[in-house]
Amino acid sequence: SPAGDSWGIFTFLCAALCNLPALPALNCSEELGTSQSIQQTYDLTRYLEHQLRTLAGTYLNYLGPPFNEPDFNPPRLARAERVPSATVDLDLWRGLTDNARLAANYRAYSRLLCYLRVLDGQVGTAELRHRLAHFCASLQGLVLSIGGVMSSLGYPLPAGPPAPPGAPPASNDFLKKMDDFWLLKELQTWLWRSAKDFNRLKKKVPPAVVTLRLEARGF
Amino acid sequence: FVAAGGLVQSCGHIIPESPVLALGSNFTALCILNESCLDFGNIYASQIIWKIKNRVVPKEQYREINRTVSSVTFNDTSSLATPLTCNILADGQFEQNIYGITITVGLPPEKPKNLSCIVHQLSQLTYPMTCTWNPGRHTFLDTQFRLKYRWARESFPDCIPTDVNNSCTIPDIHFFVNLEIWVEAANALGKAESDPLVLDPIDIVKPLSPHNLSVNSEILPTVLKLSWENRISDPVMKLKFNIRYRIAGDTNWMEVPPEDTPSTRTSFSVQGLRPYTEYVFSIRCMKEDGVGYWSDWSEEKSGITTEDKPSKGPPLWRIIDAYHSGAFWTVHLIWKALKPYEANGVILQYELTVRDKSSLTSPLEKFNVTSTNLTLQLPNGTYEVTVIARNRAGASPPSVLLIPASNSKAPVKNLRTLPKYDKLWVGWTAPNSYVLKYVIEWCLVSSRSDCIIEWQTALGDVQGIDLKGIQLISIKPFKCYLITVYPLYADGQGSGQSVKAYLKQDRPSKGPTVQTKKVGKAEAVLTWNHLTVDEQNGFIRNYTILYKTIDGNETVVTVDPSKTEYTLSSLTSDTLYTVRMMASTDNGSRSGPDFTFTTQKFGKGEIEAIVVPVCLAFLLIVLLAVLFCFNKRDLIKKHIWPMVPDPSKSNIAQWSPQVPAKHNFSSKDQMYPEGSFTDVSVVEIEADDKKSFSEQDLKPFDLLKKEKSTSEGHSSGIGGSSCMSSPRQSVSDSDDGETTQNTSSTVQYSTVVLNGYRDQTPVQVFSRSESTQPLLDSEERSEDHTGEGDSTAERQQYFRQNGGQDETNADRLCFERTKQITHANEGDLVGFVQLQISGQSSQPLGLGMEKNTQEAALSNVLQASTEGQTVRPETVEENPLSVDEMPKSYLPQTVRQGGYMPQ
Repeated sequence: SPAGDSWGIFTFLCAALCNLPALPALNCSEELGTSQSIQQTYDLTRYLEHQLRTLAGTYLNYLGPPFNEPDFNPPRLARAERVPSATVDLDLWRGLTDNARLAANYRAYSRLLCYLRVLDGQVGTAELRHRLAHFCASLQGLVLSIGGVMSSLGYPLPAGPPAPPGAPPASNDFLKKMDDFWLLKELQTWLWRSAKDFNRLKKKVPPAVVTLRLEARGF
Repeated sequence: FVAAGGLVQSCGHIIPESPVLALGSNFTALCILNESCLDFGNIYASQIIWKIKNRVVPKEQYREINRTVSSVTFNDTSSLATPLTCNILADGQFEQNIYGITITVGLPPEKPKNLSCIVHQLSQLTYPMTCTWNPGRHTFLDTQFRLKYRWARESFPDCIPTDVNNSCTIPDIHFFVNLEIWVEAANALGKAESDPLVLDPIDIVKPLSPHNLSVNSEILPTVLKLSWENRISDPVMKLKFNIRYRIAGDTNWMEVPPEDTPSTRTSFSVQGLRPYTEYVFSIRCMKEDGVGYWSDWSEEKSGITTEDKPSKGPPLWRIIDAYHSGAFWTVHLIWKALKPYEANGVILQYELTVRDKSSLTSPLEKFNVTSTNLTLQLPNGTYEVTVIARNRAGASPPSVLLIPASNSKAPVKNLRTLPKYDKLWVGWTAPNSYVLKYVIEWCLVSSRSDCIIEWQTALGDVQGIDLKGIQLISIKPFKCYLITVYPLYADGQGSGQSVKAYLKQDRPSKGPTVQTKKVGKAEAVLTWNHLTVDEQNGFIRNYTILYKTIDGNETVVTVDPSKTEYTLSSLTSDTLYTVRMMASTDNGSRSGPDFTFTTQKFGKGEIEAIVVPVCLAFLLIVLLAVLFCFNKRDLIKKHIWPMVPDPSKSNIAQWSPQVPAKHNFSSKDQMYPEGSFTDVSVVEIEADDKKSFSEQDLKPFDLLKKEKSTSEGHSSGIGGSSCMSSPRQSVSDSDDGETTQNTSSTVQYSTVVLNGYRDQTPVQVFSRSESTQPLLDSEERSEDHTGEGDSTAERQQYFRQNGGQDETNADRLCFERTKQITHANEGDLVGFVQLQISGQSSQPLGLGMEKNTQEAALSNVLQASTEGQTVRPETVEENPLSVDEMPKSYLPQTVRQGGYMPQ
């Protein structure tokens, strides 16, 4: 009923106005910016996940069998360890601080990006190269975004991206392909987990948007 | 020296070298002379002349800085032109160019403004970003614009516009990272940067519209399901949609409320549509949160909703033939096809039931038809007719029409019409009782076609309606419409009220054609026909009669339009009048053709009033005269007969057949012997001898004489001549015997009778003269085969015989006589009366035997009155016989006597 509605709105407004002094006025825009950038980073991880899904399919086809077979699940070779692994126990991962998780993400993507750029240089077809380049650029954006989120949350950025380990180039073509396979696989896992991370973080950092809007209305 | 020095080495130079100057700034140039030149000739800075193009710069702007340096200052660079030269006046008269510079004047770039960007989606994965800005004023210089963009800690290569200076397209853009974008403009005079734009490119996307839109009908007749494909994937952008639709053929779009499509989807069911209607759909999308741009509308796709039951019954009406015979009606049931939005599908058939309300037992009659009319023969009575329309989805509610035995209920009142633009409004005042609905019938009244009834219904609570033409049959201007309104009650039907109306009137297309019915001396009755309905073009308000004499003024009379006759009075007699007639409607009038008539000289009955009494008087006189003669016949007889000589003592003894044969063939000679006989005969009436009679005796007999000769002519005219046998001719013969030839022939005929009574023997002679003619004819025919069966030829033959030697004479004779007849006919009323009298006993040209007998009887009377002998009738009767029985041996006599030689 209209009467009930207006009563509800009234109480809601009152609550918003009561809460208003509790909000540090200066913090508002910052909160808004952080929340927004977390949301943006989350969207970006989702976007990258989506991109990678199609890109990986195309790239594995480019590598040829057995890499493009859906149930292909090779053992992870020791040499693949240079690619940062996302296969950490989920509970352990959740137990980390935001800062530690963000830093781990930041480091991992920086490393992955380096390998990906190497990969980009080797690809034969122009189309695939173009898409890889686009993906690389987007991934670079993700690294920047995570950095942005960290700084807006007041966390120090991890030391500049470590120099790519002078990993010996793959001794043969198959092993090289195996490296590429694992690179893409790890990327997928990282992106999937990052999306979860940012989603959680998003919820943790209260979005000031609603409050602010109400504030604007209240006055 | 100068020449050599000028060629080999410059004697000085200007600084700055080729400057680019801002428009409106001040500018100073220095001309520095080389020491070598100073040594060479006495050249000093004071001798320097500055020139712009060929114009010397005024000395006030110079400044000698030292011996070798001269400066020139311009307060406003806009007065500058290129080149600026430094010259020296050598030896006080030769002007020598030392150095020249080009000067470029322009403006520094303005700060680019209004930078805005949009990301157009070109395909699933291609998102170029186009930024546009306002480059600011024209700088007159080569100015470079660069679109710069960067992430927080990473720059991208600049976008350099090609061909234009106000937009640039970055081919590949990355979403979800804030991008700082700005424009840098640079030229020789400076550099300017726009305010930076910081945005996430995902917020400025104009996505591609959804595609592969398809429309499918659902089970529900009011729902259509749309499905489509989005061309932007969900992780990139969540979408909201706008769906618009319209009925095919309509131009107005309706929109699905945007709240119904706020999130990414690939299908939607549009509800609340009309059954069995084609709808056209189109869809667009944008980012779910409303940031960015709407896509273009997708291509249009159409679909048809499924059928539903017709929403209402078809409007039903009836036409009952006016000429219903006896106890039966011819009822035409008519109903209207439902409008598409009422039919809700394809009407497969109409189901009618007819129930006789007057008897409860009578069965319900059912009819299934596909047309929209049904004609029934029904006994008079009250009927209830229902009709339902059926389509594939079901049947409509029934429409009920009560057909009462008589339209006895109250009609509508005050029926009127009013043209409204292209529609005709019909209004009425409702009767007092409750009306279910009204039926308005109308038809175009035309003389060329029957009144084809159109109709429509109106609800019971309205008191006016616009007549709607049905598609092609729209209400036309200048046409007469007969509009009838019937109120329908729950228990019956009111009688129809009619009105005629025009949507628009015009003047008649032609005027009435006026004629006179009767023309008198001072009045004329005019008559005309009404214009046909098609010619009227409106209501004829009146007729106007305009009439005038040739030189007189026109008189105007206005006549009621119902009349078709009018009497003009007070006309002048014997005058030519011109009359025309004009028919007028509200919008003008038109005249018919002119008609002229002449009034009469005499009034009605004036002539009769004179002529009839005169005739009657004359008739009376004649009758009296006849009576008198009859009464006094003894006296007359006494006066006449005594002079008759005794035939035995006459010299008739010498009258032998040889005597006439001796006569010459000339008719004159022929006359003498006869004349000698007739010396004594009173009836020798011929011109020569007429005067020998005493006038007093003759006068009373004038008429009788004529009669006599007529009858004589008749009896003698057995020969069958159209000329000679006419009694009238004979009359005129005896009247004016001036022509000798006439006389001669008359003598022959006259003497037939007269001689007959004198002696029977000579009769033969005259019988011969008369009756041989047919024989001659036959003779001639046998010899001359020209004119068989030809009456003209016969007549000519007759004339030949008659005229004797001269054929042409005879012809002329006949002609003259004819003339005389005509003369007698024309003027002589007395002659007419005479004819009437004689006509009782004789018919003109009649040659029948009975007539002859009658005439003979008459002449018998006459003879009786003259001599009383009975010989004459016998002779007359014998004559035809003698014609028939004429012995052939007699012919030579004829030839000899009459001289009618076959030629």
